[in-house]
Amino acid sequence: MILPIARKEFLDAWRDGRFRWAAAIMVALLGVALLLAWQQVGRTRAERAAAATIERENWLNQGEKNSHSAGHFGVYVFKPLPPLAVFDRGLEPFVGTTVFLEAHRQNQAAFLPAQDATAMRRFGELTAATGLQLLAPLLIVLLTFGALAGERERGTLRQVLSLGVRPRDLVLGKALGLGVALAVLLLPVALFGAVALAKLPGGDAAGGWIRLAWLGGAYALYLAAILAGCLAVSAVAPTARAALATLLVCWAANAVLAPRLASDLAQRVLPTPKLVEFETAMNKAVQEGLDGHNPRNDRLQAFAQETLKKHGKTRIEELPFNFNGLVMLESERMANEVFDHHFGKLWDRLEAQDRTVTWTGLVAPLLGLRSASMALAGTDFTQHRHFSVAAEQHRRDFVRVLNEDMMNNTDGGHHGGTAGRALWEKLPAFRYDPPPPAHALRAATPGLMVLLLWAAGAWAALLLVAPRLKPN
Amino acid sequence: MLETLQLTKKFNGHVAVNKLDLRIAPGEIFALLGPNGAGKTTTINCFLGFLTPDSGEARVNGANVDADPLAARRQIAYIPEQVVLYPRFTGVENLDYFSTLAGRRHTMDQLLALLKKAGLPKEAAERRVGTYSKGMRQKVGIALALATEAKALLLDEPTSGLDPAASHEFSVLLRKLAGDGVAVLMATHDLFRAREDATRLGILVHGRLAVEYDASEIKNVDLEKLYLKHLSA
Repeated sequence: MILPIARKEFLDAWRDGRFRWAAAIMVALLGVALLLAWQQVGRTRAERAAAATIERENWLNQGEKNSHSAGHFGVYVFKPLPPLAVFDRGLEPFVGTTVFLEAHRQNQAAFLPAQDATAMRRFGELTAATGLQLLAPLLIVLLTFGALAGERERGTLRQVLSLGVRPRDLVLGKALGLGVALAVLLLPVALFGAVALAKLPGGDAAGGWIRLAWLGGAYALYLAAILAGCLAVSAVAPTARAALATLLVCWAANAVLAPRLASDLAQRVLPTPKLVEFETAMNKAVQEGLDGHNPRNDRLQAFAQETLKKHGKTRIEELPFNFNGLVMLESERMANEVFDHHFGKLWDRLEAQDRTVTWTGLVAPLLGLRSASMALAGTDFTQHRHFSVAAEQHRRDFVRVLNEDMMNNTDGGHHGGTAGRALWEKLPAFRYDPPPPAHALRAATPGLMVLLLWAAGAWAALLLVAPRLKPN
Repeated sequence: MLETLQLTKKFNGHVAVNKLDLRIAPGEIFALLGPNGAGKTTTINCFLGFLTPDSGEARVNGANVDADPLAARRQIAYIPEQVVLYPRFTGVENLDYFSTLAGRRHTMDQLLALLKKAGLPKEAAERRVGTYSKGMRQKVGIALALATEAKALLLDEPTSGLDPAASHEFSVLLRKLAGDGVAVLMATHDLFRAREDATRLGILVHGRLAVEYDASEIKNVDLEKLYLKHLSA
């Protein structure tokens, strides 16, 4: 009995001019969003690749200088934009794209795309993801608010039930028919997304297709939850107008209110330090040690004594290498401990904030979806952290090679001696390998669980209210 | 066969139907008269299983509706005061949908033939029902009763708002259905149609069946006077 009902619902929806118009507008918006994003992502990726090539040339052609100066000359590395940013830009506009790698300092990624944007950005950015997150539920509201409440008002529900139809079959048939109508509508968008990914150079990198499949699953769960929830409301609402009002309030709470409240809540419960406070605390720890009672100079003096003792010498100048190079290596090691501690704490806190926002999704499914969507698209904070860690590792390797050169190939007791292109070439260009899909899936798991709970809850609610469906 | 045994239904302490005993045999048309709020629609709702009686039973072909409302509904065709159809579908598509829901599959030709039998020609049947008059919609309702081969027909004010010609056409179809052995319960205010079509009629006052007549008993009496007399009693 479910299939004839589904068939009728599907046809009824497609014959409804209002639905056709709304659907056409939505498909057009999503199509345009995907097309523009595809162009923008392609352009940005090409720009960053070109910038990386130029930067490499700058590094190789910096001329002869001592290796320590080369450490301060530094190098810029650029974060590659994940291909699925075409679909969901996530945090990309709000986290830096470029990291300056230099001796003694771990820098944060700088140059946020949002800084270069116009004031229009404050109205939000239309991406395929935001379209599906915000507009598709609105379309479902318009499709479903009258599905049961409207039939009750018109009297068709009474007639249908008088024929001996099981109420559960009726609601499931309606859900199936409307779900298929929605799927048919979204199919071209999904195909367009797949084509866009395929056409993007390196689109399959980091398991692009696997990520896309999981993204499809996450959005299907979200829309299925919304569909069942809307039908449940329509089943119990006294009138279609009451159902519409209730659903619009729920939509606004989910789409507008919840994201703001959740991020405020996360910041309140798990505050992060201001940039100035963070840098001051880190610089202080570099100078005074992590416990604040172990000044750097004392530690280096002790290190010098240990080194002399180890080599059986009494004066620095007697050491068979440039002691300054060794000091650089040691001070980098000490500073790295501080960086690991402070950045680790900050990033852990930011991830905890994200988790808080995600679990707040238990009251608003959009939050769960956003988290899962960004994670699967590779535009969430965990992937930004993965990049930052890779960039920092590259910095440490590159500074170590320079300091070892200073230690072994220059005169002792000073920074003298020069190095050239031969040494610069020893340092490989930065190459970032994005994390595999398993990493993305791990990051997306809380969001997916939230969506799973919502879908299960909404369908259970629908099946629970179905037998109580009142004919009038 | 439609039957009620001491059927009683209350709403918030108010007795809508009070120990009602009815028995409508196959081929009978029973006209249930009574003012608004007398309990006519409540009785129909009990037959449809939309309401659970506080005591007593409604039975369709001997089976208690309350025990298995779905089974009871599958033997019943119900035509409300306003047959409401899906406006974006044609008459024949509506009939196809409703009869499929009732568990009866028919070809398009069979459905068109049923609609024709109910008085709706092919060109009207293949038109979207948004433009249908009430009479045309009632004909789709009758066609549905034919399509589902219902054993019992429940009518709730079926001729209200129909013009005399449409009302007459409806009566002819109704009598034809009864002639085929369908038990018909018709709740109505239309005293003229009740006298014309019913084989028996009863007057419901405050949920009680005040009086019951055979068609032959009221052939030559002023039904309106009789009706008003029972209301004021």
